[in-house]
Amino acid sequence: MSVGTLVETEDRREYRATRRRGLAIDVGMAVATIMIALLVGFVVILATGHNPVEAYSAMLTGPLERSTRVGRWLEDATTLTLLGLSVAIPFRARQISLGAESQLYAGALAAGVVAIVVPMPPVVAVIVPVVAAMGAGAATGLVPGVMKARLGANEIVATLMLNAIAVRVFDYLVNGTLREPGSTAVHSASIQHDAALPSLREWFGVPLGRANIGLLLMLLTVVALWLLMTRTTIGYRIRMVGANQDFAEYGGIAVPRVIEWSFVIGGAVAGLAGAHLVLGGYGRLEPGLVGSLAFEGIVVALLARNNPLVVVVAGFFYSYLRVGGDIMEQQTDVGTEIVVVIQAVIVLLVTAQALPDLFKRRLVRTRVTR
Amino acid sequence: MTPAQSPGGTPAVAAVAVTKTYANGVRAVRGVDLAVSAGEIRAVVGENGAGKSTLMKLFYGLEQPGSGEIAIGGDTAVLHGPGDAIARGVGMVHQNLMLVPSFTIAQNVVLGVEPGRRGRVDLKAAVEETARLAEESGLQVDPKARVDQVSVGMRQRTEILKALHRGARVLILDEPTAVLTPQETEDLFASVRRLRETGMTVLFISHKLREVREISDRVSVMRAGALVGTVDTAEATDRSLASMMMGREVTLEVVKAQARPSGAVLRVRDLGYRPSDAGVPLDGVGFDVAAGEIVGLAGVEGNGQTELAEILAGLRRPTAGVVRVGGTDLAGAGVAGHRRAGIGYVPEDRLHNGAALDESIADNLVVDRHDRPPLSRRGRLRLAAVRAHAERLVADYAIRTPDTAVPVGALSGGNMQKVVVARELSARPRLLVASQLTRGVDIGSMRFMYERVIAARDDGAAVFLVSADLSELLTLADRLLVIKEGRLVGRFDSTRGLTEKKVGLFMLGVERHDRGHIGSGLDEVTTT
Repeated sequence: MSVGTLVETEDRREYRATRRRGLAIDVGMAVATIMIALLVGFVVILATGHNPVEAYSAMLTGPLERSTRVGRWLEDATTLTLLGLSVAIPFRARQISLGAESQLYAGALAAGVVAIVVPMPPVVAVIVPVVAAMGAGAATGLVPGVMKARLGANEIVATLMLNAIAVRVFDYLVNGTLREPGSTAVHSASIQHDAALPSLREWFGVPLGRANIGLLLMLLTVVALWLLMTRTTIGYRIRMVGANQDFAEYGGIAVPRVIEWSFVIGGAVAGLAGAHLVLGGYGRLEPGLVGSLAFEGIVVALLARNNPLVVVVAGFFYSYLRVGGDIMEQQTDVGTEIVVVIQAVIVLLVTAQALPDLFKRRLVRTRVTR
Repeated sequence: MTPAQSPGGTPAVAAVAVTKTYANGVRAVRGVDLAVSAGEIRAVVGENGAGKSTLMKLFYGLEQPGSGEIAIGGDTAVLHGPGDAIARGVGMVHQNLMLVPSFTIAQNVVLGVEPGRRGRVDLKAAVEETARLAEESGLQVDPKARVDQVSVGMRQRTEILKALHRGARVLILDEPTAVLTPQETEDLFASVRRLRETGMTVLFISHKLREVREISDRVSVMRAGALVGTVDTAEATDRSLASMMMGREVTLEVVKAQARPSGAVLRVRDLGYRPSDAGVPLDGVGFDVAAGEIVGLAGVEGNGQTELAEILAGLRRPTAGVVRVGGTDLAGAGVAGHRRAGIGYVPEDRLHNGAALDESIADNLVVDRHDRPPLSRRGRLRLAAVRAHAERLVADYAIRTPDTAVPVGALSGGNMQKVVVARELSARPRLLVASQLTRGVDIGSMRFMYERVIAARDDGAAVFLVSADLSELLTLADRLLVIKEGRLVGRFDSTRGLTEKKVGLFMLGVERHDRGHIGSGLDEVTTT
């Protein structure tokens, strides 16, 4: 054998085989991670004196039992996947952006205001608020992006602070200027009828709850972002800045601009998620309509290792757990907290990545010593 | 060689059928039998990745063998960590020195085994102990000086004293001369010989064959994790050792025609630099590099060569003076502007900024040109063109890889450097700035780099070569500059008959040329 690393001595076929095996291991490990998490949840339910079989059957089969539940799943998965995507892009540039919440509120606000106030003909009435939401999200993303890229601010602090501001501004407007006159609850007037995202029910003929064509928009976004990352120069730059910022700078890439772009693209996608919430879901602006979605989006991105195509899978899986958890709570005496436990175990296993790496190493060792 | 063949009875250190496989599957050491007798200076040579460092880590307890045994002083020793090795009298001086910068030399020497009682360190005793050890071994240090204020050579001597203070009878020196000037190297060798007189056993790791032949009694050669053989130094030649290392006949000589320089490509005048970080300031630096010549820059590391190279590459902005390439004034231009002006740059640390280790070879080869045809059009990256470009460079530069999708981080040092050099030379730069071109690169790749750089010169490129390796500079450079503390202190317009020793005197500041000589023949260049 000549001097060199292991991979250098392989031929192309061998290398491709190794790569395929690596991919298979990754998929297998993802499944194993989920199984372990479910197992931990199972034990916790058992330990707290409830019936885990009953709870799990409610959670795991519940979402598919009725078409409206499927609709709820699709609607939730749409928002969650969009949020996962919005975080994955800055993450790929190694920017720890936690600003999805502010971008989401900004998008929701922009979509809501336009859809409530501006009278428009059909079709245009949908497009304009969506574009406004994406613009508002992008602008909200640009602020911490510029702070980080040009002024050297810490992007974690910048995005978190901006979140706090955005939530307060949103609440203030919905409580004040935008509050529907004469209503007892705090919310805005409803959006105009033409501005609502068309429901999927009209297409499939079965009741699918609030699921709407936002689902298709989301799938389009996935493909677009995947193409962006793999087949455009800006995507290449984002990947290089994320892989090694010093290398990118050495190669002549304008690193600050790339960082800003990663924030802007992420912001626009989060804004789209905001539009989906208002135009496809609530139909009006309400305080706290975002809930904990923004942070769950981060989990989805982590789970998918920031790969846009995997984010969809992770998003659908994750929202399935969320919807299933709600059903479990309604039908049994086990609360949604158990879903949080399962989620937490998954996050731990994924972020540690201990499992797959350990397994791969073991595999390599047995092959070498043989 | 088997342990039985070592002269002088019980070996001071020995490895018996030792094998070490790392977790990532690399078998770094395979079935090595090595025995070193007491009072011997044994050199261990080999290419990068041949396993010499791993073998030393096994002796020092930093790694544990997968199979086989380590014996110290004739007894089988199971070393769970460096503590066990130190207890048995084994000391190691690492390539990257491991000292506390803010402590004095005496404090560093006694660190961990301090004189004094009840948790209090007797500093006076520490100074005395250090002075005594220095006196006995001939390793001159100033015990009261702070480590961050003394030269690299003195830091290294401190490391050796630290090992002596802990009672080392076996001393492992891992590439000790890599950071030293020729004069400091001579001093080190004198001390090492003196230690041998006292019965010290020394393991000397190096890839500089000339030094190995100078200092060692016997030489062990490793290749691909295995011990190829051990020979008496007196019977070895550079050529025979290199052939053992490579496993085939190699020629070390580089064929180089007389340089035929034409007009100046790079003009640097009165360059000044005040670093905002921990860099070295530059002052009044002025020189030319013409098309078709290689100008070398010598200097002890940390005297401003990094800063100068990075200024030429556009990674740092000078605070005074002019840099011109061809007709372009580079004031205010960023990296992209410098590259557009025709500058290629091989950075000194390819792991830091020469490559994105997790990304593919193909992606690494286009970082400077991904935004232009034929690789992209209107923001669309053409994957087929990127792959074709990579396939071509992999073939042209003999980069060994099964596929262009392999992440660069999976390649060995020499191969990785080929990726960097392939990218920079294939851009056909007017000026190539190359820092530490062959650092951590095997002999085969080293020769390859030399030939490529000379070929680029003969094609009319101006080459500015920064290196800590004087033999490399004297081999490649047509002219040589010497830098010390951010100023040019020497200029040799021919390297014919120039010796490493002579250049070393300039590097240390013992000799210097006057400003008139260094600046002679430079035409006036004004900012536009």
